[in-house]
Amino acid sequence: MIVSWKWISQWVDTQGVDPLEFAKRFTCTVAEIDGVHRWGHGLRGVLVGDVIGVAPHPNADKLRLATVDLGSRQVQVVCGAPDLRLGMRVPFVPPGIKLPSGIEVRDGEVRGIKSPGMLASEADLGLSDDHGGLLSLDGVHAPAGTDLTQAVDIEDVLYEVDNKSITHRPDLWGQYGVAREVAAMLNKPLQPLDLRVNLAAGAPVDVAVETPLCPRYCCARVAGVTTAPSPVGLRLLLRRLGVRPISNVVDATNLVMLETGNPLHAFDARYVRGNQIRVRAARPGEVVRTLDGQDRSLVPADLVIADGEGPVALAGVMGGGDSEIREDTREIILEAAAFDAATVRKTAMRVGLRTESSARFEKALDPELAHTAALRFLRTLLDLCPGAQVASELLDAGDFARQRPPTRVIVSHCDYLRSRLGVNKTEMPDAWIVHCLRSLEFGVDPQPSGELAVRVPTYRATKDIHHAEDLVEELGRHYGYHRIASQAPLIPSRPAYTPGTRLAERKIRAALTLQQGLCEVLLYGFDHDGQRQRLSLAEPGLGRMAVRNAISRDQGTLRRNLAPNLIAAVEQNLLRGDGKEAPREGFVVGLFELGRVFVPVAGRTLPQAERDALDLGLPDLASEPDHDPLRQAWLGRLGPEMQAAVRGVLAADNPLPLQPIRLGIAIGERLGGGAEGAKRTRPQKAVSQRVFAEAVAAVQSAARALGKAELSVSAAVAGTDTEQLPAAAPDWATTWRHPQRCGWLRGANSAVVGLVTLLHPDVRHALDVPAEVAVAELNLEALLALPDAPVSGQAPARHPGASVDLTVPVAASIRQAWVCAAVLADLQAANLPAVAVRYLYEYEAPGGARSITLRVDCRTSERSLTSAELEAVLAAARLSAGQHGRSAS
Amino acid sequence: MVVAWQDELDAVRDRWVAAAAQVPDLAGLRSLEVEALGKQGEVTLLVRKVGTIPPEDRRAYGAAAAAVKGQVEQAVEARRQGLERAEVEAELADDSFDETVPAHAALGRAARMGHSHPLSQVQAEVEAVFTSMGFHVLDYPEVESEFDNFEALNIPAWHPAREMQDTFWLEGGHLLRTHTSSGQVRAMHAFRPPFRAIFPGKVYRYEATDASHEHTFHQLEGLLIDRHVSVGHLLDSMRTLLSAILKRDVEVRLRPGYFPFVEPGFELDVQCQLCGGTGCSACKQSGWLELLPCGLVHPQVLRAGGLDPAEWQGWAFGLGLSRLVMMRFQVPDVRLLLSGDLRWLSQF
Repeated sequence: MIVSWKWISQWVDTQGVDPLEFAKRFTCTVAEIDGVHRWGHGLRGVLVGDVIGVAPHPNADKLRLATVDLGSRQVQVVCGAPDLRLGMRVPFVPPGIKLPSGIEVRDGEVRGIKSPGMLASEADLGLSDDHGGLLSLDGVHAPAGTDLTQAVDIEDVLYEVDNKSITHRPDLWGQYGVAREVAAMLNKPLQPLDLRVNLAAGAPVDVAVETPLCPRYCCARVAGVTTAPSPVGLRLLLRRLGVRPISNVVDATNLVMLETGNPLHAFDARYVRGNQIRVRAARPGEVVRTLDGQDRSLVPADLVIADGEGPVALAGVMGGGDSEIREDTREIILEAAAFDAATVRKTAMRVGLRTESSARFEKALDPELAHTAALRFLRTLLDLCPGAQVASELLDAGDFARQRPPTRVIVSHCDYLRSRLGVNKTEMPDAWIVHCLRSLEFGVDPQPSGELAVRVPTYRATKDIHHAEDLVEELGRHYGYHRIASQAPLIPSRPAYTPGTRLAERKIRAALTLQQGLCEVLLYGFDHDGQRQRLSLAEPGLGRMAVRNAISRDQGTLRRNLAPNLIAAVEQNLLRGDGKEAPREGFVVGLFELGRVFVPVAGRTLPQAERDALDLGLPDLASEPDHDPLRQAWLGRLGPEMQAAVRGVLAADNPLPLQPIRLGIAIGERLGGGAEGAKRTRPQKAVSQRVFAEAVAAVQSAARALGKAELSVSAAVAGTDTEQLPAAAPDWATTWRHPQRCGWLRGANSAVVGLVTLLHPDVRHALDVPAEVAVAELNLEALLALPDAPVSGQAPARHPGASVDLTVPVAASIRQAWVCAAVLADLQAANLPAVAVRYLYEYEAPGGARSITLRVDCRTSERSLTSAELEAVLAAARLSAGQHGRSAS
Repeated sequence: MVVAWQDELDAVRDRWVAAAAQVPDLAGLRSLEVEALGKQGEVTLLVRKVGTIPPEDRRAYGAAAAAVKGQVEQAVEARRQGLERAEVEAELADDSFDETVPAHAALGRAARMGHSHPLSQVQAEVEAVFTSMGFHVLDYPEVESEFDNFEALNIPAWHPAREMQDTFWLEGGHLLRTHTSSGQVRAMHAFRPPFRAIFPGKVYRYEATDASHEHTFHQLEGLLIDRHVSVGHLLDSMRTLLSAILKRDVEVRLRPGYFPFVEPGFELDVQCQLCGGTGCSACKQSGWLELLPCGLVHPQVLRAGGLDPAEWQGWAFGLGLSRLVMMRFQVPDVRLLLSGDLRWLSQF
């Protein structure tokens, strides 16, 4: 919204106020000003000239010679303007003047003819970007040779008000509303709008409002109209407020819209068919041709102005092309109406037409204003168009005219208003409060109780003033927020609560960055569907939350697991490197993310099979916000009105999805330097073991940071009784989980808290870089729910322990952990003093036979062990390991 | 006869004492020690020879041999100390150690340095400031109900703010929260007043991205509920908190701003740090930088939170965490924050 300082100064005495300085106060009192521009300055010395001769240029077809009368002298200049004609009044720029547009006028020659000066267009003078022709000064009453700035009131200062800061203030979408605020700020009276019009009798046209969405429809007929260009002052005023001048009638509608904030429309009376106007909902299939020449198909949610045969305007958005004002228009029908804000907004959005008109109507205009604007238009048009007269009454149709809503009254106490601001009675006396509100045209009636009954002006009642708190804002901004003293709150000190998950996040972040050297990433909450497809990361059978209005097709669902985006991030970083050196073979990227994933609520929508496989097969302990007992208790406390409002959108009927916080870890090691060709490189087993081990180390570091015991990694391979495994790995995971190189992460109580896996070879091969990648994903709340590792401060053992090592052949598919666990169990069952069995290393003999070396730690608390005892342990361990190493059963 | 064994003892002693003094290094000294004083060492054997000495001489021989042994031991010890000292002196004189050789060369593999995300760093810092001042730190869902994101915040269905907010709508009727303000009413339900809390987190806006716009970014909501809360309290709290967060004394100013869930509502500006308020290009010559929206909690919001506006009031603000990170680290493009790009992240 552009505000013209000159315009508002018509109604407020702004003498002595520096508009540039005042802009700062305006920003702090009314609305944010994005920019302040001086307009029409730097034109002193430009003169009004009359064209008294036009002759062809001897050397150029497109140029002509104009003889210009400047009162005291005449000059001949070369002119290229197509609209140059004899008898025209034009701006003449004498040589030596530098115009604001940057043009420097010289006393020179153009194509061999002397041209001491130039005739100027609006663009030349920096008044618009219209290069099309000369600025016509026809109708300017000043002797030829008068300085342009004296002949036409041209200099102005413009405020560019941030539209977002006045969405709640329909009154500020007109210059007069802004003037009202300025008057209150300057403590000056506000001159009333000139609304004096002689009306005639009789209806202008047969009008019926058939919808409550148009509370007021004011309408009048004007006869004797002659369309002509508006005077230059008005044209320039429209120009600087961003509106293109067209003709006096159209300009008057625009001028009054800018002035009052209420859009208007003028129909050529000849084209209002059947002499009738209906304001109604559009009918299915109806089409209206708008002023911009487009045919717009309508839907019943649109509001139209129709004549006897069909729609002629899209109400509040744009007029129709068929009934627009033309050069030969002699009679017009004026429309000044109030339309439902939401309806106008929806139609404007639907058809993609955000006009000056719709922008105003969607702010919820005051229906009172329609009548004011109509009168103001009639007054303005009569001024612009001498032969015109109002040929009807000012018809007032719609519900509003039949029954006005009662004036809104807010009753509040001065003490309350002050206490919300934090000022005392000395700083802000009662009298000041009354004065301030009255200067903003609130009615204020002090009550015997000491309270104020405040009547809200209609133009503030549609939207922003409802409660005493709204009055607090009026007082605060006019008092000056900078004058309010800071006050420390007196809220009692209580221990501050931080959720366990947040504390855990901090600990894990510290452990993974400082101990494990991983880099934290934050990635999008959307799944990148294209990427998932490229990387074969589909997770069939997993329900996802779908976005109805996705920004791109790639981001159409919310992420269900952290892993897919992490895998893509590892891939990209393995390609790009860390910025320090070119990535080569052996380059390792370690990333982690802490964030929420989105799991469609189990229960109503998901099939049982999927509920079982939900969420990595993990228990998702994320508390469902809507099942929070505190919230349920609150619902019970609500009043019946609010309960009814809430019920449709809350809780039981449509619970929110689970949104568990996950920890995702991804480690990638580059297998080759080149990108392509080597993509299908198969990682050596040692590399796979290393990458996997790094992921496990990170997981253990996180568990340790939370005070949990080391997690066990148990292969998700069926067919062993050494471990109780989940009955079957959920199908969905198989697309990126390596079925043979993965493990469930379990706590000391055997609860599954996550999964660690190498990539499925198909996914690995789809990566744009040859790499081995390990991924771990854990449910943070499940991890937190594990019992804490027991801690006790016992003294070190008094008797040193001893250990024995043994090397045994083991089948390839046997996991060392199974052997260790089984051997320890056997030894302890045999009452041997073994306390731990550890895996040391393994080697592959030529021919592929695998052997592993184990160490058995032995200790008794009461004495040192004898060599005989150790021999017995070793023999038993050999026997046991031999058995368990051959097969899993 | 007496002379003969005495001479022999003396000769052996002289030879070993001289040899010890000339041994070049500790290894030589150790073998010399074995040869002289070991189980089969020459001196040891001499001492043991006492059995072959006639009884009348035995006492004298024994004493003399022991003395020789002691003298040889002494000589060895003296030489040991000398050599050890020389070794220390040599190490101290050696200037060939290069303390600048980096870990990756010395270890064969660089120790990987981890980096926490700058947003996490700033968020943790801000959380610490607020925790120290008695604010709860709360964490609320990203997928929200229309009720908590809009209705409860005095943004009814017809309100243009619903479109202005550019919301991502989900199948099934929920949405991705457009602001952390969606936690306000949740917090009012969860805590008995008076209380104060912040809730940081990810928010989503349906809008095209460019260097200064992201459809996903981070905010931090602040909420205080108490009796008799005024604009004066808001001013004090904002000045105190922002000084702690921005690590300098900040001057703040309030100007009218429109947000349906606060009344009065403000845009809060801080005095421009670069020019100190005199005006520069960073603050568009105004001397002030717009930092955050805030205001007194709207009575409708209090009611939705189950609180009686006559008894309880509050203030609330929304701080752009992403923006704070960009300001603090001079980040030129907001999209870097969620890029997962190590080249950028490894700076932090």
